[in-house]
Amino acid sequence: MDESLAMKLAEQALELARSAGAQSAEASVSIARRFHAEAREDVVARLEGSTGRSLLLRVFRDGRKSALSTTDLSAEGLREAVNRAVANADLVAPDEYAGLPTTTATDGAELRLTDPFLARRDGGEKVDEALELERLIRAADARVTNSSGSHYTDAVAVTAIANSTGFAAAYGWTRVGRSTGPVALDGEVKRTAQYGTAARHLADLEAPALVASTAVRRAVDLFGARKPPTMRVPVIFDRDVAAALLDDLFAAVSAANVAVANSWLSGQIGNRIGSDLVTVVDDGRVPGGLGSAPFDGEGVPTRRTPVFEGGVLQTFLYDTYYARKLGAATTGNSTGGGIGPSNFYLEPGSQTLSELIAATPVGVLVMDTIGFATEHASGTYSRGARGFFIEGGELAYPIDEFTIAGRYTEMLAGVDAVANDLRFDGPVVSPSFRVAEMTVSGN
Amino acid sequence: MFDEALLGQLVARALRYGGEFADVFCERRRTVAYRLQDGRIHDASYGVTLGVGIRVVAGESAGYACSDDLEPQALMEAADAASLIARSLPGDAVRGVDLSPQRAPSFYNSAAEEAADAGRYVSLLETADRAARAYDPRVVAVNAHVSDEIQEVWIATSDGRLVRDRRPLVTLGVQVVATDQKERGSGYVGDGGRTSIAFFDRETPESLAHEAARIATVNVSAVPAPAGEMEMIVGAGGGGVLLHEAVGHGLESDFNRRGTSLYSGRVGERVASELVTIYDDGNLQEERGTVNVDDEGVPGQHKVLVQNGVLLGYMQDRLNARLMGVESTGSGRRQSFRFVPQPRMCNTYMPGGESSVEEIVATTQRGIYAKSFAGGQVEIAKGDFVFMVGEGYLVENGKITTPVRNATIIGNGPDAMMKVVAVGNDARLARRHYTCGKGGQYVPVGVGMPTVKIASITVGGTQHG
Repeated sequence: MDESLAMKLAEQALELARSAGAQSAEASVSIARRFHAEAREDVVARLEGSTGRSLLLRVFRDGRKSALSTTDLSAEGLREAVNRAVANADLVAPDEYAGLPTTTATDGAELRLTDPFLARRDGGEKVDEALELERLIRAADARVTNSSGSHYTDAVAVTAIANSTGFAAAYGWTRVGRSTGPVALDGEVKRTAQYGTAARHLADLEAPALVASTAVRRAVDLFGARKPPTMRVPVIFDRDVAAALLDDLFAAVSAANVAVANSWLSGQIGNRIGSDLVTVVDDGRVPGGLGSAPFDGEGVPTRRTPVFEGGVLQTFLYDTYYARKLGAATTGNSTGGGIGPSNFYLEPGSQTLSELIAATPVGVLVMDTIGFATEHASGTYSRGARGFFIEGGELAYPIDEFTIAGRYTEMLAGVDAVANDLRFDGPVVSPSFRVAEMTVSGN
Repeated sequence: MFDEALLGQLVARALRYGGEFADVFCERRRTVAYRLQDGRIHDASYGVTLGVGIRVVAGESAGYACSDDLEPQALMEAADAASLIARSLPGDAVRGVDLSPQRAPSFYNSAAEEAADAGRYVSLLETADRAARAYDPRVVAVNAHVSDEIQEVWIATSDGRLVRDRRPLVTLGVQVVATDQKERGSGYVGDGGRTSIAFFDRETPESLAHEAARIATVNVSAVPAPAGEMEMIVGAGGGGVLLHEAVGHGLESDFNRRGTSLYSGRVGERVASELVTIYDDGNLQEERGTVNVDDEGVPGQHKVLVQNGVLLGYMQDRLNARLMGVESTGSGRRQSFRFVPQPRMCNTYMPGGESSVEEIVATTQRGIYAKSFAGGQVEIAKGDFVFMVGEGYLVENGKITTPVRNATIIGNGPDAMMKVVAVGNDARLARRHYTCGKGGQYVPVGVGMPTVKIASITVGGTQHG
């Protein structure tokens, strides 16, 4: 991918913003070549390959800010859109905190963001990977009769950011993933699971055989699942489900939510929220991490920020605007218009998930959840779930069609064991962990 | 904007190795949006989506490529990339395609053609903010947004269709947070549709703000939701999220053609109580999920999905309809030119029944009244769904009593639909603010429902016993 082309487009947009009357501006251009192959049985169900370009522009005039996002990078189209964006700023209230950061470019070489092989990898090989996953899930277990598709995806991209204070830097990145969704027939009931792996480097992916066998196990182990009784028990969150919980936690520490009273953690910095096992970090510099980058969406160098240490809330996560507004310093979490995670994760413990299960006399292991949180203001958690009932430290039988619920404060305070199975296969990740007691709602 | 001759060449080029059909989807979308925070207009944004997606379908396979570069050379390269899917298949290349323009009736508000004075957006937001704060002293924060877009599409197909559609979509949303120092509660209300911002002369920003503030203050005093199985009354309007999750997704033809939905192969069977009838309609005047033509150029339609409990048919896009030997139902939709079309819902609703709401409440001994939903999700294969209650109450001995916070309801599609024991006579469509996600693509949809009673369902609160 051509860093200089992305930079040239960013600088053109800045120049147009200046001539349209913006006093300062920031432009971010991404150019990404994406590939996606989906297989079902021995058929290539979908083959997609395209290069996409997009521009994000933020303009400032008299303390008023306005944004543009566009895929129209033609000279005429860009000029018209930039003029419109600058004119829109007139309707915005002046805001003393709006503006650009003071920043200088940082190097990202040690971050291992790019796998050069992906740019030249043969398309046929990629398609074969998707087809191979289809074969593997069927070979793994005769009860797998169908699939919702097996996928190979990759992206080879460059991101360039330039602003009117003279900052100009670009970096390349890649992403590759494989995933599958076997469907197994349990009498009349169709049991399905989704499992995948993603990384910046092909070599960091889990092998196709492991992806297939994990996905199949997740589908067939649920055979005969029944609804559990309603009860209060310890709940173990498998790492993928635990990661989804960390997503909610990120929303609560995002300064954009804190600033508008939409976080249950508002006003809690310095307070003990979690148990002493709750150490949560946002780190933009994990080598090969999918949330890693040399600098954030405003060009601010990324860094490692401890968010919870031993259960105590240390800081919220900020971009330049919300840092100024809330009297803090940016943590390099700008997405160029909002606040987003770098690599946001719970520090792992030392025991395996199996050891953790063995140390649980009675409880529930949650393998999958459906639903999403909507009320960050009150901090109430509730999800549909499936997984296993644990008795005597063993998985006694599979359970589904139940919910788990609790308050985030009680859940974090109740974290009494953390496993060692953290992997960086997304920007927000977690090892498996156990919460001492939650409400399981079933029969 | 797009040259007809070029579109014809692109379709032909896409089929240079063969394939059953090809289509070219051209899009220009312009969105203006403003956000209010802390009583002031916080930011403005303008978005432009411009590009072309080219698809080739060969049997069960689809090749797809898109380009945001509209130079003929770049578009031909995209057509070449899409054509590769058919390279190894037998079939004849297509030499040329004659396109003939098609017209479909319009279900959008024509006033949306006029550009609005930008000051009106600001005044909507400021009015909503003042109204929410004046509603109750416990209101501590108001966030409001307004967006107005026009999406223009040009669709050319290898069977000679050339269709243009110009789709307006306006949305005003108000989120309110209230607190009594001890507990917090929030409420969200949004409305709009395929119309102009003059819509909010009727559905005023004051009424939206009052409703959001009312829900937020109700949620402040709400008690933790109960846990376990109980009766449920689903509120009229927004309760339609239940149909969308419990039935709708499972009737999309991709899952059914592949046999991965629990509704696969069940057309003609009883899948719900005989009180249940479900429609999906692309032609409702100005609704959010309405499309004059879908994203494959097929006119939107009124579809009877379930009648008196019997499954009548699926929602079809062209690819799956062809493989199942039926016609498209105008259900092929996509988020933008960067995505392949999928079979999707438009506006999904249940017509009214015979029970009065009073009677439904009076006959409920112990249950939950889910007045509105904040969203939902379904797992297609087994049919388990959840939805999150936005505003809910306990029902005790035939009376609606205490508000409960943040309950998640979990059920199984056919199981819950079989347990529908009463359908109210108060059918209505929900306020227009729902967006549906599937396979990473988001499209606007509508839902609607009368008050409905389900004999038993699992409520996922924290209060056990």
